[in-house]
This record gives sequence, C-alpha cells and structure tokens, in this order.
Amino acid sequence: MVLALGLLSGMTLTGCKNKAEAADNEVVLYTNADDEAVEAMKNALDNHGFEGKYIVQTFGTSELGGKLLAEGNDIEADLITMSSFYLESAQKEHEMFADLTFETGAMEEYPAYYTPITAQEGAIIYNTEMLKENDLPVPGSIKDLADPVYKDMISVTDIQSSSTAWLLIQAIVNEYGEDGAKGILTDIYANAGAHIEDSGSGPIKKVRAGEVAIGFGLRHQAVADKEEGLPIDYADPSEGNFTLTESVAVVEKDSGKKDLSMEMAECIIKYGREELLETYPIPLYDGEKADDANQSGNPKVFSEKLSVDLLEKHQALSEECK
Amino acid sequence: MVRKKNTEARIIWLLVCIMFAAFLAYPAILLLVESFRGESGFSFQNYAEVFGTKGFARALRNSFAISAGGSVITTCLAFVLAYTVNYTNVSRTFKKGVRTLAVLPMLLPTITYGFAIIYSFGKQGLFTKLLGRQLFDIYGIAGLLIGYVIYTLPVAFMLIHNTMGYIDRKFMVVSRVMGDDALSSFLGTVARPLVGTLAVSFIQCFFLCFTDFGIPASVGGRFEVVAVVLYKEMLGSVPNFQNGAVVAMVMLLPSVVSIWIIHYLERYNIRYSKLSEIEIKKNKVRDTACAAVTSAVLLFVAAVFAVIFIVPFVKGWPYDMSFTLDNVRNVFADSALTAVYGNSLYVAAATAVLGTLLAYGAAVVTARSTISSRFKGVIEGIASVTNTLPGMVLGIAFMLAFTGSSLQSTFAILILCNLIHFFATPYMMMKNSLAKMNLSWEKTAKLMGDSWLKTLARIVTPNALSTLVEVFGYYFINAMVTVSAVIFLAGARTMVITTKIKELQHFAKFNEIFVLSLLILFTNLAAKLIIRLLAGQKWKERRRVEHEENKKNINCGAGSGAFIRHDAHRVQK
Repeated sequence: MVLALGLLSGMTLTGCKNKAEAADNEVVLYTNADDEAVEAMKNALDNHGFEGKYIVQTFGTSELGGKLLAEGNDIEADLITMSSFYLESAQKEHEMFADLTFETGAMEEYPAYYTPITAQEGAIIYNTEMLKENDLPVPGSIKDLADPVYKDMISVTDIQSSSTAWLLIQAIVNEYGEDGAKGILTDIYANAGAHIEDSGSGPIKKVRAGEVAIGFGLRHQAVADKEEGLPIDYADPSEGNFTLTESVAVVEKDSGKKDLSMEMAECIIKYGREELLETYPIPLYDGEKADDANQSGNPKVFSEKLSVDLLEKHQALSEECK
Repeated sequence: MVRKKNTEARIIWLLVCIMFAAFLAYPAILLLVESFRGESGFSFQNYAEVFGTKGFARALRNSFAISAGGSVITTCLAFVLAYTVNYTNVSRTFKKGVRTLAVLPMLLPTITYGFAIIYSFGKQGLFTKLLGRQLFDIYGIAGLLIGYVIYTLPVAFMLIHNTMGYIDRKFMVVSRVMGDDALSSFLGTVARPLVGTLAVSFIQCFFLCFTDFGIPASVGGRFEVVAVVLYKEMLGSVPNFQNGAVVAMVMLLPSVVSIWIIHYLERYNIRYSKLSEIEIKKNKVRDTACAAVTSAVLLFVAAVFAVIFIVPFVKGWPYDMSFTLDNVRNVFADSALTAVYGNSLYVAAATAVLGTLLAYGAAVVTARSTISSRFKGVIEGIASVTNTLPGMVLGIAFMLAFTGSSLQSTFAILILCNLIHFFATPYMMMKNSLAKMNLSWEKTAKLMGDSWLKTLARIVTPNALSTLVEVFGYYFINAMVTVSAVIFLAGARTMVITTKIKELQHFAKFNEIFVLSLLILFTNLAAKLIIRLLAGQKWKERRRVEHEENKKNINCGAGSGAFIRHDAHRVQK
C-alpha cells in the first residue's frame, strides 16, 4: 500500500509534467501590448503558418518588467514584446536576448537584439463639450494643467503602473528640471484627485465619458476619436510630444525553439506592422508613412537615455508629489 | 514487539516528512535567508530599508486598521446570523436558507468579490444606477471593508454557529427562573459562553483579511495594504526580492501570533456537561428583528453577487441592457480561456487526489499507529506551520526556491504548493475522524493475522470513506478558488482561472472575468453536490453517530474545543 501510495503520487506528478511538456514545443510569447497590438501580432502569425505553434501570455508593463529583471534567462518566454527601455535594462543585467538574425529595415538604429513593433506618443486630450460647458480654456502646455481652474477636471496616469505617465513626466522634467517638475506635478495631482489612473488608456476613457474635461494620454487614441466624430480634440504640449517604443526580442536559450522564435519575430515585423499601423500610426520602418493628423506637432526626445533606473528615479519623484 | 511492526508507519512518516522538508522547510528557510541577505552577507539592511520607506509603514498601519475593522463588523454580523438560526423561532426553511447562503462566498475566489463590488456600487454599478447616485467611493476603505466582510462572513458564521450548537440551553431556563431580565439573561447564557469563540472569530477574520490579495488587488485603489506591497516588491516594475522577503516575513508575524492566540483561547471555551434542547421562548419582536437584520445582510451579499449573474448576460453594461449569450459563447469559443478552465480542473483534481493521500497518510500515522509521540509531534508541528503560513508567503518562497529548476512553470509546482498550503485542515479532519474509530481494531485484526496495512485497507479506510470524500472536496474547492500563492507560480501554459482573472483585470475584460467566475462557482457547486451524494447515507449516519458521540465527549469535557479548531481550520484559504 505504501508502494501504491508512492507510485500513485509519483505517477500523478509525472503526469503533470508530461502534460506541461507535451506542449513544450510551442513558443511562449510574453507581451505587455494592448489588445489591438496582440490581435495584430496573432493575425500576422496565424496567417503565415504559425497557428497553433505559439501561446501568448499578456502582462501589465510593470509585471512583465519585474519578471524580466527578476528571472533573466530563466524566464518561461521564448519571445517577448515589451517597452524598449525595459528590454535594454534586462539585457544589461542578464545578457538574456539573442541578436536578431533578420534584416529589419527600421528607419532608425536600434540595438541588435530588438526591433520596435509600435511607438506611442503623449499628448493633451480634451473633451470639447466639457470645456465649453465648464467655460475652461484649452491648455497649451502640461504646466497649464497645474492651474487650479482645472480642479477635478483632469485625469492623468500613475507612473507606478503605467508607462504612459512617463511621457508626461519626461516632458516636464526635460523642460523645467526636476525641482520645477515637482511643483507642477504636485499641483497636477491635486487637480486630478481621484482621477489618477493605473492604465494608460484610463484618462481618455474618462474624457470620453465626460467624467473629466482633460486628460493626458496617448495621442493616436485621441486622433482616432476625433476622426470618429466624438467631441474629442488634442493639443501637442509646448513641452513636447515624447515617445516610447515597444519592441520584440528573442530570449537566448539552449532550447531548439530559438530559431522558431526568431522566425516569428521576423513574421511579426514583416506582416504585422500593417495592422499595427492602424492603431499605432507612427512610422518606424522604411516605406511607412503617417497621415498629417498623426504627425505630432512637437516631437522631442528626453536628454538622458531611458532605462529602468531612470524610471525608478522618476517614480520616486512622482511619489513625492502625491 | 510493537516496535517491530512499525516499519510501514515509519515509511509513511518518512515520506510525509520528506515531502514537507522539500516543499515547506526548504523554501521557507530560503525566504528567511533572502530577507537577511545584504550586499556583504548577513545584515539587517533590508529590514531597515523596508521599514524606512514611508509607504510601507503606512501600508502596515492600513492593513492592521482595515483588517481589524472588517473583523469586528463580520463577527457582529455573523453573531446575529448565528443567533437567528439558533435562538429564534423563525421558520426552519428560513434557517436552512441562512445556513446555505452564509457560506456561499467560499465557493468563489476573493478577486471576484472585488469586481462584483465595482459593478454593484461603482460609478456604473447596478445599485448606483438603481439609486441614481453613487453611495460611496468604492476604491479604498469602503470597497475593502465590504469585500473583507463578504469574504470572512462564512468563517465567522460557521465558528459561532458551531459553538452555539454546543451551549446548554437549560441555563436559559435557570436564568429566567432566577428572575434575570432579558438582557442579563442574554449576556449570561448566550454571550458569555461565546466570548472565546467571538475572539477566535475576530482573530481568524483578521488573519484572512490581513493576508488576502484578491480583494485589495481589485478595489484597494490608493489605499495600500501589505499584501499589495508584497506583490509589487516581487512582481512590480522594479522587483526587489530581498525587500519582498522582508515584507513576507512581516506578513508572517501577525499570522503566527493570531494562530497562536487561537490555540491559547481554546482553553477558555466553556464546556457544558451536557446539551439539552429546550423550547425557545416566544418573542415576536426578537424574531422579527433578527430575521430582518439577517435578511438584510444576506440580501446585501446576494445583491453584490447578483451582478456576476447579470453583467455577462447583457450586451453592453450599463447602456444596452438587452439579454445576450454572446459573452458566454465568446468565452467558450476562445480556446485560450477553455484551456485555462481545463487547467484549473486538472490542478484542483490532482491537488484533491494527492492531498487526500497526503492528509490520510499523515493522519494514519498520528491517529492509528504506535510510533513514538516524538515522531507524531513532528507531523503535528508541520500541520501548525502550514496553518500559519499565508498563501502569498508560501508562493513567494516557492518562487525563490524553484525558479530556474525544472519545476518552474509546471503544473506540478502549482499542485505541490496547494498541497502544502491547505494541508492543515484536511489533516485535522482526517485525524479527528480516525481517532474516533475504535482503537482495538488493529489489535483484533492482528490477532486474526492481518498486518497493520491490511487492517488499514480492510477496516480503517472503508470506515473513513466519507471523511476522505470531504477532504477531497476541501482540497478541490480551495484549489479552485485560491489566487494568493499560485499568482507567483503560474506560467503561460499553466494558467488557472484565478490567475487568468488577474490578467484579464489589466484589460478591464469584466465579461470574461464574470463568466470565468461563474464557471468556478458552478464547478464548486457541482463538486459539493457530488461529494454530498458520494458521502451520502454514510455521511448522514456518521453525523448522527458523531452527534451522539459529541454529547458523550462533552461529558468528558473534550468536545467543543476540538470542533472550533476544526472549523477554524476548515475555512482557511
């Protein structure tokens, strides 16, 4: 009977392993991308012979970031799409990504181990009807949002959980220095009150719903809303439109799946970009073009190289302002 | 001579110990070491760092305050519920309804409660719409309190209800005859004997609130609690394992203390020499008041859960309320989601099978073998330790111990974690049941020429069947609803429903969340039903016998204590 006990437990445990290992030839894709981007990538892969050969696991940016830094090469994933600065920091710490073996055709120069899938820009978004109704001026800069007239009328994101917030903080730190930024951010948070959102699309949702008049969010979403005829408009802040890119990278592993993962990465870039551009209209590769509306008025780049360390610094700055 | 015959028991003992050494002691020690690991060896630096941050001190205060608040409310409400069932003349059907409804929340994961609260009292919530305005801000204190109360109500109710069942009602008659007024009669004959249990209920609820992750994950808002800090340290944007380990140790401390106090309080339970049924005094006012409060509480709970049944079946909450099955169909059409359901079933079933074996093995050694009490003490110790270990702490310890090993992201690690996490209660259930059986069976069987194992197989096991089934059910249901430990361990291929819900939360896909929650609920209801049927007649019979025996036990003064403990264990997540 002891034997039977032992055997049974042994068998069940190996049973579990077998079940997990049976699917082991699938490529595991970890991503922090939004729904639309995940759909676009899936479509590209499915339409080019990879259907059933991969599984997708989505995460919030901070969760996936944490996993990358914590687990390094031990990570379950074979293929990752993630905010580029996180990939860079993880690479620096763990040397965990393989150099891409295909020609990307990107317009700009990127490190050898990743290539971007999307770029997202920040902008001020407002509800035209709400502004009229409450007799509020259209803000021209992020600094304007600190004005007490906008009390309880604005929504921003929290840099602790959303990288969209970083686009705002980069802009004000870049323009006014850290001390100047602190003062502005404190007043912005006071104005936002309960409308400090965790997700990057939180503010635009509140602006659409009319819960607030103004939000800071992703520019392309506002462009799309405006084109759809919603009472939404956007302003490129005088501090600048800052950009974050998300990229695809292949994890360096001994397993035979590296080559397959590499093929999938190539497929995503080659065939996925077309659909990705519909939602994220900023051109990244040769031959891509943006329409005028999606050409931001004031593109800028942060003076310091983006990294997790810098993010941490700005997170601390933001916490002080709450 | 007895010693010689103990080989089998010793082997089982050894297997159980190896299991816990590898999957409890090793990860826990690793966690402890990690919390003290500084840049140059052993140091208190991490502790200083964690306690030095403003946010952590605040979160710790928040956790203590809100857990205490929630526990007080729950205990009071549960008392009214139990009082209504035990001391009023409301109809039997009503009482039965209370008993059933009060424990229903146990069948759902806590993370679901949070979302149900959002859809009930949030800006677009059902009741906000019905009343025309939002009653209160749900993110933060109010949401957490509601969630905690719903979560812990079953525990508190079961504890108090159980003790009330073992209070001798004759004292009420005596009190009345002595001329006490209603209040002092109530205080003397109902409240006073319950003091111990009420304290246990408070502490038990406190422990559950303090260590729960699902509720703050959904409605915590900006009100940070320790569980959220812990999650962020381990899986946040900039993880810090050392600091996470420190937070885990900090979370462990109140848990250990609370379980220890419960242990201590048990001695103070008043024991009656016998139980007597008496007619409950007629009192329309009391009955109506109790029934009203009880109905209000249960209606509130039911109302919060109602949205789970409504939201997935309407087209576009809250604007387009026409009925649709599309959401349900979509979930079942999404192979990723059905696979997750399959995973959950698999993990729960495997946990239940292996867990039952483990609990049975351990309990057989302590209750039916003659190995030395020191050996038995080890197993008792293991049970106490698993009882004090919050799921999150165990999950993190597993993560530290097995990342990079071949166990990472497998079903095996989830199952092993569940086995350890929920061990205490099934073990107690099993042990209590085995200990009640006639101890001379083994001797008689030996005289007849059967070995110990043969006796186990032929006599003890068949007699323990209904408890085995209950233990199976306990493991199964808990494995279905748990999120705190597995959130750190599930991989892309081994996602279970609860971890998937956390993922869906990020994209605010509430239809899917509620459909998956309903799947858990129906699965658990089905499991309960099957277990009832399987345990069936035997179960009823045993209950009757148990009841008689308890009466006898009370005579020897050993009844209620074990029962309170038993049930306190039973409900731990």
